[in-house]
Amino acid sequence: MSEVDMNALEDEIKGIVVEIIEVEPEEVTAEADFVEELGMDSMQALEIMAAIEKKYKVQIPEDYLGKIVNFSSLLKISNEIINGK
Amino acid sequence: MLLSNKVAIVTGGSRGIGRAIVEAFAAEGASVAFNYLKSEDKAVALKEQIETQGGKTLIFKRDVKNLDAMKKMVEGVKKEFGRLDVIVNNAGILKDKALMLMEEDDWGDVISTNLSGTFNLARAAIVTFLKQKAGNVINITSVAGITGMARQTNYSASKAGVIGLTKALAKEVGPYNVRVNAIAPGYTDTDMVQGLKDDFKKKVLEMIPLGRFGKAEEVAKAAVFLASDESKYITGQVITIDGGLSM
Repeated sequence: MSEVDMNALEDEIKGIVVEIIEVEPEEVTAEADFVEELGMDSMQALEIMAAIEKKYKVQIPEDYLGKIVNFSSLLKISNEIINGK
Repeated sequence: MLLSNKVAIVTGGSRGIGRAIVEAFAAEGASVAFNYLKSEDKAVALKEQIETQGGKTLIFKRDVKNLDAMKKMVEGVKKEFGRLDVIVNNAGILKDKALMLMEEDDWGDVISTNLSGTFNLARAAIVTFLKQKAGNVINITSVAGITGMARQTNYSASKAGVIGLTKALAKEVGPYNVRVNAIAPGYTDTDMVQGLKDDFKKKVLEMIPLGRFGKAEEVAKAAVFLASDESKYITGQVITIDGGLSM
């Protein structure tokens, strides 16, 4: 995926996170802990996964659920999976 | 048909109540996968019977005690049938003994098959259900789990545990349109009941207001109802099918 696409992906995925966790975009920094700092619960994590799967028509393996701890990890996983489709 | 286009998994589907549920689901148009542990001949014969009648089915030799095996079964069903709508946690065993004679394995085997087995398939399927914002869990418990039965501390505890799991999970996943219910059969005329001693059977029959043992098909009818959209406002419930025994 090119740099431009990566930027688009970042914006789109941040949009999904903001909508589901109901926080302001500026709160979703690369390292802000989704659970501890942004108040995400396990169901919201699943909703984020499901929204990404639907939008990009990919399957994110269930094992990744526990690895989504902040925006940086989410973006890395999304990039890996979307590139691999 | 009540279950057209639905895909279901039934554990312990080769015999008894599980078999009746597999047959009833297939008759109502569902594609049904089921697992078995020992009864391979019966499982294969049932698969052939359903396919002869125009139904779609898959069988798996898998142990409900193994979470990984349940995860693989869910993946296999989704791959073959494209989706998963209903799971029926039916697989169960008995190891009846007075507590003072009960070995640790008698306790452990019953708990790990009946209770942990229910957890295992529910755990394997729940993410799929939550993501599709639709799903249906039907747990086969027992009147023993409601009233307790002498010489069945292991079985009664496992089945009471299934009721607790049913209610807790119903609360947890209700907001995602996933329903979780249980069916509590009383004495149902399957291999389990046929194994009882004659004088005990006679005593039990006297306690049942309807005066007879239940039939597996009568339990299966409730499972069809719970699996169908006819029951879409019902969750967290235990439907007792026992001829009035536990009143």
